[in-house]
Amino acid sequence: MAIGRGYSLRQMLRTAAYRAVTPVLSVFLAFLVSAAIIIAVGTDPIVAFGSMLNGAFGSQTALATTGVRMTPILFTGLAVAVSFRAGIFNVGAEGQLYLGAAFGAAVALLPIGLPAFIHIPLALIAGFIGGAAWAFVPGYLRAYRGVSEVVTTLMLNFVAIQLVSYLVDPLVGPIGERGAAYAQSAVIDPAAKLPILLRGTSLHAGLILGLALAVALWILIGYTRLGFRMRMLGANPIAARFAGVKSAREIMTVMLLSGGIAGLAGAVEVIGLRYRLFDHFSPGYGYDGIAVALLANSNPLGVILSSGFFAALRAGANSMQQATGIETSVVLIIQALTILFLIFRPLRDWIGSRAGRPPRLAQDSLIDAA
Amino acid sequence: MEDGRHQTPELLRMDRITKSFGPLLADDAVTLDVRVGEIHALLGENGAGKSTLMKVLYGLHQPDSGEIWLDGRQITIGSPHEAVAHGIGMVHQQFMLVPNLTATENVILGMRAERRPMLDLAAARKRLVELAREYDLDVDPDAPVWQMSLGGQQRLEILKALFRGARLLVLDEPTAVLAPSEVGGLFRIMRQLASEGRGIVFISHKLSEVTEVSDHVTVLRLGRVTGTLPTREATAHTLATMMVGREISLARTTAPVVGTDTVLEISGVHCVTDRGTPGLTGVDLVVRKGEILGIAGVDGNGQRELVECIAGLRPVTAGTILVEGRPPSSALREPGLLGLVPEDRYEQGLIGDFDVSENLVLRAYQRPPYSTNGFLRWGRIRDNATQRIAAFDIRCPGPLAPVRSLSGGNQQKVVIARETQDDPALIVASQPTRGLDVGAVESVLNLLRQQRDRGAAVVFVSTELSEVLALSDRVVVMHKGEVMGEVPPDPAALGRIGEMMMGRSLESIDAGAVA
Repeated sequence: MAIGRGYSLRQMLRTAAYRAVTPVLSVFLAFLVSAAIIIAVGTDPIVAFGSMLNGAFGSQTALATTGVRMTPILFTGLAVAVSFRAGIFNVGAEGQLYLGAAFGAAVALLPIGLPAFIHIPLALIAGFIGGAAWAFVPGYLRAYRGVSEVVTTLMLNFVAIQLVSYLVDPLVGPIGERGAAYAQSAVIDPAAKLPILLRGTSLHAGLILGLALAVALWILIGYTRLGFRMRMLGANPIAARFAGVKSAREIMTVMLLSGGIAGLAGAVEVIGLRYRLFDHFSPGYGYDGIAVALLANSNPLGVILSSGFFAALRAGANSMQQATGIETSVVLIIQALTILFLIFRPLRDWIGSRAGRPPRLAQDSLIDAA
Repeated sequence: MEDGRHQTPELLRMDRITKSFGPLLADDAVTLDVRVGEIHALLGENGAGKSTLMKVLYGLHQPDSGEIWLDGRQITIGSPHEAVAHGIGMVHQQFMLVPNLTATENVILGMRAERRPMLDLAAARKRLVELAREYDLDVDPDAPVWQMSLGGQQRLEILKALFRGARLLVLDEPTAVLAPSEVGGLFRIMRQLASEGRGIVFISHKLSEVTEVSDHVTVLRLGRVTGTLPTREATAHTLATMMVGREISLARTTAPVVGTDTVLEISGVHCVTDRGTPGLTGVDLVVRKGEILGIAGVDGNGQRELVECIAGLRPVTAGTILVEGRPPSSALREPGLLGLVPEDRYEQGLIGDFDVSENLVLRAYQRPPYSTNGFLRWGRIRDNATQRIAAFDIRCPGPLAPVRSLSGGNQQKVVIARETQDDPALIVASQPTRGLDVGAVESVLNLLRQQRDRGAAVVFVSTELSEVLALSDRVVVMHKGEVMGEVPPDPAALGRIGEMMMGRSLESIDAGAVA
């Protein structure tokens, strides 16, 4: 058995360290610029970042908060990363997440009296199917009609959000709680709730699921036939065609997989954290997934790190605001700057000239096309 | 020397340039000096270090050691921008043009406009037209690049360099993309530019062109200079020996053979091109076991469409194609049926970011021993690569080297090693020698001969008539999506092949000869 695809452990570590240079440097520069902004409003950035760090990792509660924030963007990050690797730009994770949440909630609401170890998987499968179904139409149009998936997946996000608002409408929604003050469903069946990992916090088993999924996808991409075809398609679709790959079928597969994973994000959020389906419940987890996947260079294991990073930013933002009075929106600036530095070609060229070879990102072609 | 070359001032001197990539020594103390007004040919096989040397000159690589002197002053070149500022112009093998922009827009791209931030397109256009007239370079300043022929794009690249005031012009394999009739025009321009006092570096591996156009030759082999001499003192024979290190002959040594059972049968096939224009208009062909069918013709006369139809990659609008009695729709997914060497090896045949071992299993990855139960077996994939690298003499740092880091000839060996792996019944090789040097051409032709002798039916599409005649057992000529006729691979048929390439059918030629 060739662990590491024939690379030695040392080679793998070297490659991993090399690939980490650009993301780490981007994060560093983003913090540097943000520090300048914080100084400009008259606060010590060391204090601000310190309180942020404390809020993200300083206590068990802080860690649990970070884990809870991390879970949905870990899933959506994986969903986007999978599509990037195959050269597909699925920016519809947001909509797929809503559909997954709706499907998952519909199953989780049923008082079917089955034990948790059956009811939970059923809800998760439903969530996957919901997300995949939402990705089906863009996938079909891209695979067989050549329609850009960027436009279709993006537009369907808005449709999905409105669809869920209708589903949980207190007056007419099929699963809306009648007479409720908010647009929400009833509370889901207790057997469908994901177990809490840390007593007294909201940290739920969804995080474990996400971590396991990341490892599974890493194996899928690096060690399976399907993963090989996906990488071929992503790296050179023309050569893939000349090697006999049926591109259309692979594009469908990848879109369904990507959409399904985004759907899982929604279902997990419902059965792990909120126990109800709310309208507008996602503050843009699907879009965060794009940033997460970019920062991870679409590597599923890297997505663990990048989603953890973004989650820590969000979790630490509140403590920072309490300690220094700086708006939490500073973390949005950090997040945006990180991505800007990451896709800033001259920076990568400079790193490449230092390292003797150009760092290539899996999504380079996508960035160039955009 | 007595040729008076030393009385001409030196324009460029690259002195003992050394450049290595990891364990691979691309250039080893290479010295090149180019005089004012000289066409200096840089000759060498792929992987000999020509391109690396020129990338050093253009600021794309920094040398490990060595000096660059321009006009007697030592300079360093940190980027292509600096190279341009020093008056160095380069026409790359793959053109650096933006397809959507017009000729004028491409010329000023990356240049600083005088009235920033506004572009001065009108002035640029005027100067471009003047330059084009002065050098008799036919370029439409308002045409978008995607509408231009490859020859037109090359002329535009030359104009681009002149527009930027290039005094030293490097042409990297400029004839590779040209039709034979266009080569003369290019040589005329090169001579004119040299006569004005510019220096021209002409990178090539075609001996006939080097002896025809250059004044001085420097030959590289395996990263070292094996000789530098005035062209008139060189013969094709001595140059080839310097370049390859052994004697080379492309001439055919055996008589054409006659194939046995039919492997490929094409009858009345029509198809359309990517642009929807007619691609093939009624092609009939039969290729039998144990023979090589050569398809000659000027590039772009339906060869590409024919190859893609045979491989099942392009729908046939009328007629039938049978490979071993079956339609070709899944030929690429069945082992042992079809080996395909596509015309653009880098775009169609390889995945540049994948390593050599991965590229060697692009088609076989889904079968044992390379994968079982859906999982890849990387150990087997790497072992296979180690064997193939040795068997096909693929020069690379190892199975894990990205294929984009290989030279063209070695990339082609990767493609051929892969496509012949399952002893396919039919092998379709489209322009397999394009851009390769003499040594690599010889080994590619020999590999195809071996496949024929093994019993494969081989379709060999080439625009190089000498190769078609050297390799094929039968020759057909294509023109505008039709087969004009079939002739034996006999130098005596050259005239008729030429006429057929221009669009005359064999019947009318023979009738004309009688009348």
